[in-house]
Amino acid sequence: MDLLWQTAINAMYAASYMALIAVGLVMIFGVMGVINFAHGELYMVGAYCVVFLYAQEKFPFLLSVAAGLIFVGIVGLLMERTMFRPLRKNPLGGLIASIGFLLILQTLAVLGFGRRMGHVPPPTQGKIEIFGAILTYQRLFVIVAAILLLAALWAFLKRSKFGWALRACAQDAEAASLQGISMNQTARIAMFIGAALAGVAGALTAPLVSPSPYIGHSIIVTAFIIIIVGGIGSLEGAVIAAVLYAFVHTFVTTFFDGVIANIVGLALMFAVLVVRPTGLFGARERA
Amino acid sequence: MLLEIRDIEVRYQKIAALKGVSMAVPAGGIVTIIGANGAGKTTALRAISGLEPLTRGEIHFDDARIDGLPPEEIVRRGVAHVPEGRRVFPDLTVEENLRTGAFLRTERAAIETSLADVFARFPRLAERRRQWARSMSGGEQQMLAIGRALMSAPRVLLLDEPSMGLSPVMVQEIARIVTDISAQGTPVVLVEQNAEMALLLAQYAYVLETGAVALEGPAGDLHENDHVRRAYLGG
Repeated sequence: MDLLWQTAINAMYAASYMALIAVGLVMIFGVMGVINFAHGELYMVGAYCVVFLYAQEKFPFLLSVAAGLIFVGIVGLLMERTMFRPLRKNPLGGLIASIGFLLILQTLAVLGFGRRMGHVPPPTQGKIEIFGAILTYQRLFVIVAAILLLAALWAFLKRSKFGWALRACAQDAEAASLQGISMNQTARIAMFIGAALAGVAGALTAPLVSPSPYIGHSIIVTAFIIIIVGGIGSLEGAVIAAVLYAFVHTFVTTFFDGVIANIVGLALMFAVLVVRPTGLFGARERA
Repeated sequence: MLLEIRDIEVRYQKIAALKGVSMAVPAGGIVTIIGANGAGKTTALRAISGLEPLTRGEIHFDDARIDGLPPEEIVRRGVAHVPEGRRVFPDLTVEENLRTGAFLRTERAAIETSLADVFARFPRLAERRRQWARSMSGGEQQMLAIGRALMSAPRVLLLDEPSMGLSPVMVQEIARIVTDISAQGTPVVLVEQNAEMALLLAQYAYVLETGAVALEGPAGDLHENDHVRRAYLGG
């Protein structure tokens, strides 16, 4: 019983940062129609912002996380301007360009920090006990930050004019342009937010994983499974699928092992696609 | 003239959808464009809104050239376009759909006034303001699409096939709405396959055939024209 509860707490942690990553990926796809293969590397760059600023240069942890969020957001803007905008009529081209960009980011990380795993000393040492399960402050901080960030994103999308514009653009870009909503502006916002969420996920979890230039790889595979299960294009779906996937994966890892957990994760995606080809919250066919 | 199209050509790859079309829309009243499927009616409206690039010709709005401008800039200048098939945002609520129509406006009070006006004009939308647009009937979605366009406080309204797929009662309703909008001072360009309705509502009409203006004139005259009667009014 204790182990079950402890595993559930661990899954909460995994769900929180995976949700940040998956939501960003869905947002970029929704507005620009392009699959950002470099999304895992944006996570990696966020982690290295903390390696550099906090672990090496001894800036405060929170400041380093904030810098990671903004820096990776700006990398996202750069990607929009140099790759996705010129290739807007060619989503496959955008995907291929993002694969190239992934390799550039990986190489830059290797050049700057070496191939070996970085180490980030945990900024906090304490832990709390919740009904017998142990949760370190560091993990608790990730969970709380993810919830706050997702709530802020929710409020932005539902309550602000640019939020409506973003959703309108994701649903019908041409009709949105007839309302005066500029595709370029919307794409910039979506790309900044989507990249910044991946970056902040990397920055927040940097003390908990050992950042290496190649951590983006497993992240992107997991993120793809999540957004397919959730229904590509659905932000709510991405959050719920992240929770679902994290629980399944964490439980199977704990009670069997990590390889079986990956297989079960893919089986989960397969099962969802058989029952609902558009994913759990996928868009209905539009006329 | 408020809006003038001068000898425009639009090509989809090799095929010319519009081959040298000229039209003029005065600052008041209803101008209609009728014609068969594929005659280029929708393309003409899309060209005005900046959705289709011209390969020849010019479009002038309010004495300024607008062809080549991005769609959002054309909206900013006062051209609102209700596209074919309504194209409301299915996963936005009715009110959110309407507010996207006012995206470029900044004066909060004036936006609220416009919203109240739209709700007064379309009580059905007021009742359903928190519903998803996708849950509404075709007629309600058409009202929503028109309301959304009005939220931009347009100086001219382009309507593409507002009667498409609607019941006869709803077509009557749409006809009344179009007349009201024009009577209240916003000129309307009405593209219609329902030529009977369009010629009754409009003061001036253009007949498009395979991408060119085949006939034009006061709507009443065209309604009595033999060719128009045979080809578009069923006898």
